[in-house]
Amino acid sequence: MNISIKRVRAIFVKDYKEFSRNYAVSICLTFPLIFAFIFRGAGSDMSHAALAQSAGFLFNVSFVIVTCLVQACLIAEEKERNTLRSLMMTPATTTDVLIGKSSLAFVLSAVILAISTYILGYEPASLWAFVGGIVFSTLFYIAAGTICGLYSKSVLEASLAVLPVGVIFTGATWGALLQSRYPIFKVLDYMPSSQFNHLLGLSPDFTMGDVLKPLLIILAWTIVLTIVAVMLYKRRLKDE
Amino acid sequence: MLFQPVYNNGEMFLPKIELPMRDNQTIGVITDLKRRQYLMNQLMDPSRYYLFRVQQNEYMRLTVEELLTFLIHVSERNESADRLLDYFSIKEDRKTKVGALSPSKKMYVTLLRVYFAHQPTLVLEEPFFFLEEGDRRKFKVILDDLSREKQILILTSNLEDALISCDAIFRINELGFHPLDIQDSDEEKQETPEQDSANITLQKIYTKRNGKVILFNPPEIDFIESVEGSILVHVDGENYDCALTLTELEQRLANFGFFRCHRSYIVNLQKIREIITWTKNSYSLRLITGKDAVVPLSRSKLQELKSLLNL
Repeated sequence: MNISIKRVRAIFVKDYKEFSRNYAVSICLTFPLIFAFIFRGAGSDMSHAALAQSAGFLFNVSFVIVTCLVQACLIAEEKERNTLRSLMMTPATTTDVLIGKSSLAFVLSAVILAISTYILGYEPASLWAFVGGIVFSTLFYIAAGTICGLYSKSVLEASLAVLPVGVIFTGATWGALLQSRYPIFKVLDYMPSSQFNHLLGLSPDFTMGDVLKPLLIILAWTIVLTIVAVMLYKRRLKDE
Repeated sequence: MLFQPVYNNGEMFLPKIELPMRDNQTIGVITDLKRRQYLMNQLMDPSRYYLFRVQQNEYMRLTVEELLTFLIHVSERNESADRLLDYFSIKEDRKTKVGALSPSKKMYVTLLRVYFAHQPTLVLEEPFFFLEEGDRRKFKVILDDLSREKQILILTSNLEDALISCDAIFRINELGFHPLDIQDSDEEKQETPEQDSANITLQKIYTKRNGKVILFNPPEIDFIESVEGSILVHVDGENYDCALTLTELEQRLANFGFFRCHRSYIVNLQKIREIITWTKNSYSLRLITGKDAVVPLSRSKLQELKSLLNL
């Protein structure tokens, strides 16, 4: 498990160049920004709670159509062209490849989310809780994207494979609406996306517990899914 | 290099094979697609073998220069992309995206991955198949340079491709595993007894196949080869065993326009389509047959052949 910065950087740069020239996928980066503009235009007189809700929707959708999709496409494209297998025969290790790719997805998401937060004009009650939630959630969706990429054979399949992620995780935030009729949907409150919404909706006089609980739940999801993704990656490579 | 036997429905599909891997030597194995897969499946160890499969594709949106830079960094080489662009003679395409190259160039650039391999053995599947003549020559030079430090194994279904760059060629088919004699033998002196040029006008070649005796008219025959002492008469893509020796056949067939182009080959001159020059002293003959057949031509026989054909 040795990590070489040089190799990681080579993979990062290569992926950045490939990705930025693949307009079919990179156009997705503009969608969160468009959403942010629409929401800002719609509710210049929004209350803090309403703003937090639209921010929640915006971020949870962005995680899927930016973070998850980018990561899934990066991996699926390598698989499609058999370059992943060739990469495995270079000195680059699994960790190098995964970190190189994830860091691109991470940087892109961070930039897009920062810009859309600015456009939307959302101000978090606690900045570090907000940043922590974003970082953990991004890592979570990167892991989800890796899994989607590993299960698809081409970029086309990968872009469809992220749909279930969107339905399950973004959709979970609306599960609360059905909670009173179907108590089973209370489980959805433990989804990372719902917890992230709690973080966004913190009232200015929050307590430590209000912040830590959602953060820890998201972190737990992230760790579990990352382990699954890495294990799956190693197994898939052997099968090929 | 040792391969374990593979059985398919109780029948031996791939015999146990030991390839004599020596340094500075490129080995070619001529076999079909399925046997190639089985062979490659036994070479999956990424610490020992660099496996170049024919499905290998490339990052289409990188330019050639960016691709080389990436390969240099990721394989931790201390080389400059400029020097390599020169060495691979693709300087004029440095700013072209890989996806925009011609199919042959694209394959050539993809094949350059083997240059960066750190494994001691390189295994290439059908490296020359998609390359045009010029790119073949360029890639052959790279392979020759690589073979100074590494062992190279080329898996192909085409004898012509194997002849380009291999020092030893083996054939694996339903008949088993056989070395092919492709060495040029200038030293070898052949005692050709004085031919009694009797006016034999009827001359059938007597062959056997699956217990049946089959007689061929000489003009039907494409070429005759000697594989491990047994004589195979090739007619229309099929081969038949013959009990005569090559020397005897050569005498019998001389009047029918046959020519001993190589120690182990006799070719029907009427069926030659093309004389292929690989390098200054390696040649082969392409025949007009249904299947694309290629026969090696000894350097020493080239002049004789040219005078026979009035070239």
